[in-house]
Amino acid sequence: MTEEHKKYIKKRKVRKCVIVGLQAGILLLFIGAWELVAYLKIVDPFIISSPSRIVKIIGELYRGSNLFPHIFATLYETVLGFLLSTVMGTVIAIILWWSPVIKDVAEPYLITLNALPKIALGPIIIIWVGAGKASIVTMAVLICIVITIISVLTGFLSVDKEKIMLLKSMKATKMQIFAKLVFPANLPTIISVLKINVGLSWVGTIMGEYLVSREGIGYLIVYGSQVFQLDLVMASTVILCLLAALMYGGVALLEKFIAKKF
Amino acid sequence: MILQIENLSFTYHSKDTETKAVDDMNFSVNEGEFLGIVGPSGCGKTTILNLLAGIETPSSGRILLRGEPLSSKGNEIALMPQRDQLFEWRTIEKNVFLGLEILKKNTPENKAYGRELLEKYGLKDFLKKHPSELSGGMRQRVALIRTLVTAPSVLLLDEPFSALDFQTRLNVCDDVHSIIKQEKKTALLVSHDINESISLCDRIIVLSARPAKIKADVKVDLDKSLTPLQRRESPRFSKYFEEIWRLLEVRK
Repeated sequence: MTEEHKKYIKKRKVRKCVIVGLQAGILLLFIGAWELVAYLKIVDPFIISSPSRIVKIIGELYRGSNLFPHIFATLYETVLGFLLSTVMGTVIAIILWWSPVIKDVAEPYLITLNALPKIALGPIIIIWVGAGKASIVTMAVLICIVITIISVLTGFLSVDKEKIMLLKSMKATKMQIFAKLVFPANLPTIISVLKINVGLSWVGTIMGEYLVSREGIGYLIVYGSQVFQLDLVMASTVILCLLAALMYGGVALLEKFIAKKF
Repeated sequence: MILQIENLSFTYHSKDTETKAVDDMNFSVNEGEFLGIVGPSGCGKTTILNLLAGIETPSSGRILLRGEPLSSKGNEIALMPQRDQLFEWRTIEKNVFLGLEILKKNTPENKAYGRELLEKYGLKDFLKKHPSELSGGMRQRVALIRTLVTAPSVLLLDEPFSALDFQTRLNVCDDVHSIIKQEKKTALLVSHDINESISLCDRIIVLSARPAKIKADVKVDLDKSLTPLQRRESPRFSKYFEEIWRLLEVRK
């Protein structure tokens, strides 16, 4: 290794350390300032809560065996909504790719559905599907599915025309064109849709839980705000942050795995 | 005669108009011949190619292969597209097997033939590599082998070198020429590059502007044992160039 290359490697390492250090520093500074402001009663801790109160209330939830049931309820709804919308959205996109007539017929409906704020459908969903988990999952699916269909279909339709010509010259059937070209060429698109859906399915689930629920993180947030217990609201939000980051990390890992296979 | 084109016509339809792309075309290709088709841009070369490759159906007229109409199955006339169009997610050997898979002929013997071709033409160490790891010239060779492996009777080359830089182009041109000659294939080159066509082909059909009609049929009488690059240096080369250039220039 030359001296110059060593220098370069060192420079890279230093840069990485600085970035991780700054990231951790900002977090610690934020938590510290928050705690201090609450401790010195510069702002009423009743309004802004504080890190130590958040830890305390999470401990209380845990001891009362309330923590994990709530987490699992929300996680279950989110993962189910995420999987259902991804699979159903991809299947619908395949149908629309297959039949240009169906695609053209469906287009205005898709555009309208995409523009519609799905939360507006909340009351209808509750009445139709019932006040329970099913409503929440439906909400999550509704939020994710339209964007899934549109993104995946756009990916399918943007496959290189010359590659399709090549397969046609080999007398490939539509099924073969899909299986050998269109689908594999779009795996990266589908992965990026997964990433979008992770975020959106959380939005759907929490929104659903705001509307109807007797358990879950969204329920804790609403309940906490109704009884004006900001500690509970903040603690739930922190848990939500962690869960969402964890799930995103999972998808990112899956992406790496698939990228390797490519 | 391996390929006969009889009274071939094709019309495109769009919302506002219909465009006659090919008008009553007749020509034939002999076994083992390297035939070039050149024409001004937009003259309907691509249409002829699509008709021969079986991607489009003629409005009227027939394409006969060894006296029989083209079948809707099989890959008797195989296309080598502009740019290699290798699939990045497949390894080199899997790319070569693509046509075999589509035709449901991916038997161990046919796959072995594919590997054998890759090895014969200097791609032995790249069987398990992905296309992005190969140079442009090597990729083009893989694309050619992909068309050869299904054992077609006629190869259709659609400006196969247009995506390469000039130097690679000359080398790949030599490569492709020698492979096609070694495998004793009949080939049809569609191109707008006059030099390339003269250096590769035994005969060149010059097309008129749209709708495409045959304007001239030029026999290229250069030493067949020379490589395309060597043919470019032959004194008669520039004469052919001038002749075809003139034919293309007079548009009306």
